[in-house]
Amino acid sequence: MSTAHAATAGGYLGASTSISADDVPALYEGARFYAPAVGDAYKSPLTSWLTGLLDRNGPVSLRRPEAMPPNTRCVALCVVGSGSALADLPPAGDEFQLAVQRIERLQGAPFGAVYPLAAATVSALVPVVAAAQLGVPLLDADGMGRTYALIHHTAMYLAGLSPTPLVAHGPTGESVLIDVQIGPRADRLLRANVDTLGGWAALAAYPTTAEVLRRAALPGTVSRLLNVGRLLLERPTPDVLVARLAAITGCSRIGRGRIVELEHLSRPNDVTIPGHPSSLVLEESGGQRRQLRLELRSEIVAVFADGRLVAAVPDLLCLFDVSRGEVASLDSLEPGDLIDVLVTPAEAVWYSAEGMAMVGLGSHGIGLDHPRRR
Amino acid sequence: MSRPRGSALPGTLPITLAELVRIAPLAAGEVLHLADPARPVEQVVVAETIDRLRRSSPHSLVVLHADAAAGGWSLAAALHLAWERNASAVVVARSVAGPSSAALAQRLNMTLVVIDEQPVEVALQLAGQVSAPDAARALRQALFAERLAEESSTRAVLSALNGELDPVPVALVVGDAVLAGRAAALVESPDAEQVEVDVKGPGERPWAQLVAAVPARVPGAARQVEALLRLARPALLASLAQARLNSAQRAAHEQAGFGLLRQLVGEPPSTDRVGAEIEAPPWTIDLGWHVDGFNRAVWLAPLRPVGPPPEQLTELVRAAWLRARPTWPLVAEDDGWISWCSTSDADDVTVLRPTLTGFRETAAAHGLVIGVGRPVRGVAGLMRSVAEARLAAHVARDSGPGAVQWFDQVGPPAALAWLPTAEIAQVADLCLQDLMAAKDRSTLVDTVLAVLDCGGSLSQASQRLGVHRNTVLTRVARARQLGLDFEDPGQRLSLHVLCHALASLADDQGRTGNETA
Repeated sequence: MSTAHAATAGGYLGASTSISADDVPALYEGARFYAPAVGDAYKSPLTSWLTGLLDRNGPVSLRRPEAMPPNTRCVALCVVGSGSALADLPPAGDEFQLAVQRIERLQGAPFGAVYPLAAATVSALVPVVAAAQLGVPLLDADGMGRTYALIHHTAMYLAGLSPTPLVAHGPTGESVLIDVQIGPRADRLLRANVDTLGGWAALAAYPTTAEVLRRAALPGTVSRLLNVGRLLLERPTPDVLVARLAAITGCSRIGRGRIVELEHLSRPNDVTIPGHPSSLVLEESGGQRRQLRLELRSEIVAVFADGRLVAAVPDLLCLFDVSRGEVASLDSLEPGDLIDVLVTPAEAVWYSAEGMAMVGLGSHGIGLDHPRRR
Repeated sequence: MSRPRGSALPGTLPITLAELVRIAPLAAGEVLHLADPARPVEQVVVAETIDRLRRSSPHSLVVLHADAAAGGWSLAAALHLAWERNASAVVVARSVAGPSSAALAQRLNMTLVVIDEQPVEVALQLAGQVSAPDAARALRQALFAERLAEESSTRAVLSALNGELDPVPVALVVGDAVLAGRAAALVESPDAEQVEVDVKGPGERPWAQLVAAVPARVPGAARQVEALLRLARPALLASLAQARLNSAQRAAHEQAGFGLLRQLVGEPPSTDRVGAEIEAPPWTIDLGWHVDGFNRAVWLAPLRPVGPPPEQLTELVRAAWLRARPTWPLVAEDDGWISWCSTSDADDVTVLRPTLTGFRETAAAHGLVIGVGRPVRGVAGLMRSVAEARLAAHVARDSGPGAVQWFDQVGPPAALAWLPTAEIAQVADLCLQDLMAAKDRSTLVDTVLAVLDCGGSLSQASQRLGVHRNTVLTRVARARQLGLDFEDPGQRLSLHVLCHALASLADDQGRTGNETA
C-alpha cells in the first residue's frame, strides 16, 4: 500500500523532472546513502540554504542529456576538500556561481546546464544550488554514480574527456584556474591549493556539451539519488528497505552482524588513493554466523566473509544501523552496534579493465581479484 | 614410487605441528589456535602474495610475508585460502594478527602461529626442520630432557610430560592407582593406543608405570611418545629418592619436636598442669603443627606389641596415614605412633571420623589398633589426650585388629587393659599347677570368672554362661578341688585377677588360632 502511495505521489520510482524545496530532504538522504563515509556536520546550514534558494527561485528543472539540445554547453560541479572545513567555514553563497562564470569568461561562451561531478555527499546538493542561482537546468547524470576520491575518477575521463580547464573557488573569494594536458595532474595541482583556499573549494570542471555527455556521463543518477532518499525518509524496516532498494539500485544485503572490533592493523599503502586503513569486524548474528571483515580506507573498500572476499570496490558498500533505522556513517560506529552490510553494484563502466585499474581493489593496495570477475 | 604414509620408515615420517611448535623458531612465537597437533607438515610455503596460496599443496605450512601480510584483511584472506587448500598451518608476524584473526582461525579450525622474528628467516628454519624431521625430533627430545632435569618432584615431572605431549594424557601408575598425572591416560578407547613404560625404583625393582593414551591414527606417534616417556624415568627415580629422603628427615624432626613438647609439659601430664597455659613454641609452626586449639590425640599401635615397631612398618603406616591427612603429624613413640588433630570446637570430629574410617583397612591389614583421646586445649592438653589415646588403644586390643576405641567410652575397666596378662598367667603356672594341668581348665576359669564378676551369684553366672545353675555349681566345686578357692576373702582378689588374665590370654590365643587357620 505504501509502495503504491509513494509511487503515485512522486515517490521513489521513475525519473524526476524537477527539484523543488520539498525534495531537499530526500536529496540529502540519498546523498548520504551514496557516500557513507561522510558525517552530518554541515547538514543543517546547507539544506536550509538550498531550501531557501529553491523557495525563492522556484524549482530547478532536471533534464536528461538527451533532452537537451546537443550543443548545450554543460559544466560539472562539486565540492573539493574536507567536510569539516566546510562546516567551519560555510560558503559565502556565490562560490559555485563564480567558478562557473570564470570558465565561461575563459571560454567566451555561457553554460546552458550544470551537472554533478559526483551525485553523492554534499556534491549532490551544490549543483542544485548553482542551477538555481544561474537559472539553468540540472542534468540528470553525473560522472561517478557514487563518489570516488580523485576528480579524474569519472566516466567522462574514461570516455576521453579532460577535466580541465577547471576552476576552484574558495570561501575566501580567491580562485585557482588549472589547465593541464594529463588528467591526473589536475587532481594533484588542485589538492595542493585547496588548503590555501580555505580547506574546501567549489569546483567547476569537465566543461563540454550535452551531446558528449549523452555517451560520456552516467545517466539518471540524480533521479535515482532522489528515489533512494525518498525511500529512506519513509523509514521502512530494514528488510523492506533492502527489498525496495533492490528494485531501484540492485542493492542486496551481505549480512547482518554486531560490531565486535575496530582494528588498525593494516599498513597504509603507497598506491594512488590516500586513506588511513582500518578494519571493522562483525560477527554475523544469523545464518552461518560468519565473521565479516570490512576494510576501510576513505570508504568501505572490501568485505570478507570468513576470509573470503565477497564484495569490493567499485561496489558501493554501505552500512545500515538496524536499531536506529538509518544509514550509519563510518565515524559513528561503535562495538556492539547491530549493522546490515549492504552492497550495491556500481555502473558497468567501473567493472571494465580501465575502471577497475582506476578505482578497483588494487588502487587500495589489496591485490585480490574482484568477486564479480572471478 | 610412493609409500602409504602409515608404513613410512620412522626417519621419513613427516613432522607434526605438535613437534614443530615445541622447538625454535615456532616455540618462540605464540600459538593463537592449534587445530590438530597431530597434523603432519610436509612442506613450507613462503607466500609473498595471497595468490601464492592458491598454488600451495595440502599439508603445507604457509608463512606469510610482504603483500600477503599487509594487514588484517590479508591474514583473513590467507586463512580462508589455507583452509580451502587444506594447509596445515599459517604463520604470520605478530603485528598483523589481532583478536579477530584468532577468532577466524578458530572458526575455520586452521592453526595460526604468530612470530616476532623475520618471516623469511623463520620459513627457512622451518623448511630445514620439515625436510629433516628426525633432526627436529632429536632437538625436541634434547630440549625436553633439559626441562626435565629442572624438575624435582613426581608431580612436576608428570606436569612437564603432560604439557609437552598435550593433548596426549600421561599418568604415573602403581598397580591400578594413579600416583600423578591425568587418569584419562588409563581410559581405553578404540581411537587411542596405550603406551606403557616401566619405571624402576631403587635396587632395580619395578616401582611404577608411565602410561600415555596416544591417538591411534597418527603414524609414529607412539614411538615418539615412548621416547619422551623414557626420558622422564631418571627424573622420576630422583624425585622418588628425594621424597624418601624428605620423609626420613621429617620423621626425625617430628620425633624430636614432640620430645621437646613433652619436656615443656613435664612427665607425666598431671591434672593440675592441664589448666595451666603453656604457649606453643614457634617451631611447631615450622613443622606444620597446630597445637593451640582443642587437641584430640590418636594412638596407632600394633595389636601385639613387641618393642619399637620396625622402620619399614613405620614407613608404611606413615604413607597410609598421611595419604588422607598429609598435614597431620605422625610421631613414632614406644610401641606405636602418635598423631593429633587440633580444632577450635572441642566436639568437632567431622574431619577425624572419616579419616579413621579410611584408615581402618590399613590398620586391619597391618594388625594395628587405634585409640582416640578426648579433646583438651593447649600443649599440656595434647599430652593428656595422648595418654588417654594410648590407654584407649590398649583397650582396643580386646576387639582385634582395626578396632577403634574412643577414651570417652572406656572408663575404669581401662585399668584392666594395663594388666600384664602373660606374666600373671605365668604365676598361675607356678601356684595352680593342678588347675593348669586340667584339660577343662578354660571352662573352669571362665565359670569362676563369671561367678566372681557376678558378685558370687550362681544364678546370674549361669545366665551369663548360658548353662544350668547346677552345672555352674558342679564346675565351681571342681575348681575349688583344683585350688581355685575364692571363698577365702584373702585370696579372692588375686584369684579374680588370675582368672581375668587366663581368660584374656585364652581369648588372644583363640583369635590367633583362628587367624592362623
